[in-house]
Amino acid sequence: MKFVCLNCEAFMLFQKVEKPGEGTLGVEFLCPTCKARFSMVTNPGETQMVQALGVKIGGRTTAPEAFELTRETLKDSAECPVPAFSASAGLAGIPAPSSGDASGGSCPFSSMVASMGAGTSAAGPAGLEWSAEALDRLAKIPDFVRPTVRTEVEAYARTTGESFVTQAMLDLYKKGTTAELAWSPEASQRLENIPFFIRPMAKKEIERMAREEGRTEVSADMMDHAKTAFAKFMGG
Amino acid sequence: MSPSNDLKTILGKLQFPDDAQVMRQIVDHTLQVKMRMGRIKRKIVVMSGKGGVGKSMTTVNLALAFARRGQAVGVLDVDLNGPCVPKMLGMSGRRFDSTPNGATPPVGPLGIRVASMDFLLRDEHAPVRWKGSMELSPVWLGMLEMNVIREFLADIAWGELDLLLADLPPGAAADKPPALANFLPELDGAVVVTTPSEVTTDVVRKSVVYARDVGIPVIGLVENMSGYHCPQCGHESDLFVGDVEAVARDLDVPMLGKIPFDRELSLSCDRGEPIIDSGHPMVKRFDEVAQRIVDCLNFKEILAKNL
Repeated sequence: MKFVCLNCEAFMLFQKVEKPGEGTLGVEFLCPTCKARFSMVTNPGETQMVQALGVKIGGRTTAPEAFELTRETLKDSAECPVPAFSASAGLAGIPAPSSGDASGGSCPFSSMVASMGAGTSAAGPAGLEWSAEALDRLAKIPDFVRPTVRTEVEAYARTTGESFVTQAMLDLYKKGTTAELAWSPEASQRLENIPFFIRPMAKKEIERMAREEGRTEVSADMMDHAKTAFAKFMGG
Repeated sequence: MSPSNDLKTILGKLQFPDDAQVMRQIVDHTLQVKMRMGRIKRKIVVMSGKGGVGKSMTTVNLALAFARRGQAVGVLDVDLNGPCVPKMLGMSGRRFDSTPNGATPPVGPLGIRVASMDFLLRDEHAPVRWKGSMELSPVWLGMLEMNVIREFLADIAWGELDLLLADLPPGAAADKPPALANFLPELDGAVVVTTPSEVTTDVVRKSVVYARDVGIPVIGLVENMSGYHCPQCGHESDLFVGDVEAVARDLDVPMLGKIPFDRELSLSCDRGEPIIDSGHPMVKRFDEVAQRIVDCLNFKEILAKNL
């Protein structure tokens, strides 16, 4: 949250935090140009919300302690000494992103909310765009499998190089994923080598790979191909 | 200076200063979590849409099963308001050991390291109450709990672990799974606990969909209270009518195992004296579930070897 001095067209600068009364905070700002000062005063609900963020407005003056927020806000907290620990020492080797980078927007509060996952979209951060007609068709699928179908359709679309899901893409997906694949006796026999509780997952994954290859049958050759692909995935 | 410009124009010219140092602290929090979690090989959450299905009992016994396999295991009790992992492991009343490196978790049976809100409360019976008037806004309470979870992830000096099991509170659409998924993008997956009751499986379906929706892979289902294990004759009979295997097929998730209700196991949890004898039939069941979890996580490796 920032304040802008509209007369000077400048962000007002944070000065200090005061506690003018129980359950209230006064956060003072100063316009760097016209030197106007004012204080934003919070009500008890807003004060609690700011405290719940777990940050010290204006920055830290002491080293962080383990469970600092929890201990400060818990009513029936056990009493035990808590030495401060060096967070920065623990972070050695991890480059600190600069303020205002991609980890959040320009507002620290909106960044916090974003970092907590509020507003997660059904499509997820890397979800593709869908046409209205395609979304209508998706809505007809029972809700408990809809997210899975959505993810699979999008994965399928990506394999074809598309970034937009249309009705035509859904038709292609349906044709590509529901067409029966034949299994040769040898391939079926080899599938039996997989523990029974993960066999359905294995079958599905191999059929997906076979469809990507444009095959209509899972043969011993396809099993060799899948085995090599999995070995490569494992770095073998 | 012209005051006639609109706000959008003005903001377009300005660079945001983080002079209140809020952004920097939030970034530091995230990095601290990354640093701690980077030393843990596998992270699994145990969840369910329904309460009372045995999540904590499953978590505790799975932790023991993995510890029996020689793994360094940690258990994070994320049930902030009803923590019961310490009691089940006979660790009630223990405290974190505060060190300059963070809070060291108490060590329980088979070397399992445990973190729980229970260790921060004044006594075993003290409820979790927060300072301030909570009735003012449930929004701040949710935000506070997320930051408390963040502190559990960031401030505990687990050391090197092979596995961290997090016992989540009940709730299909609660805020905890997305919060954890956000803090732990490298989460290996969720073990979902259910009972065969149709009422429960209906809600559990929702939690599986919800977990996938927030990006948590579902490792599989554990059917708890799958039957009643008679302590006298050893016979097992049904407690509920339901078909969890059909639910697993519908949801396309593996069945990890069935755990019947066993009085001895239940009493052992209540007394805080976990059964660790690897010859015990219930222990064998959990060992099998643990093996299946390992197999599911190493799914592609198994395919590469066995196809």
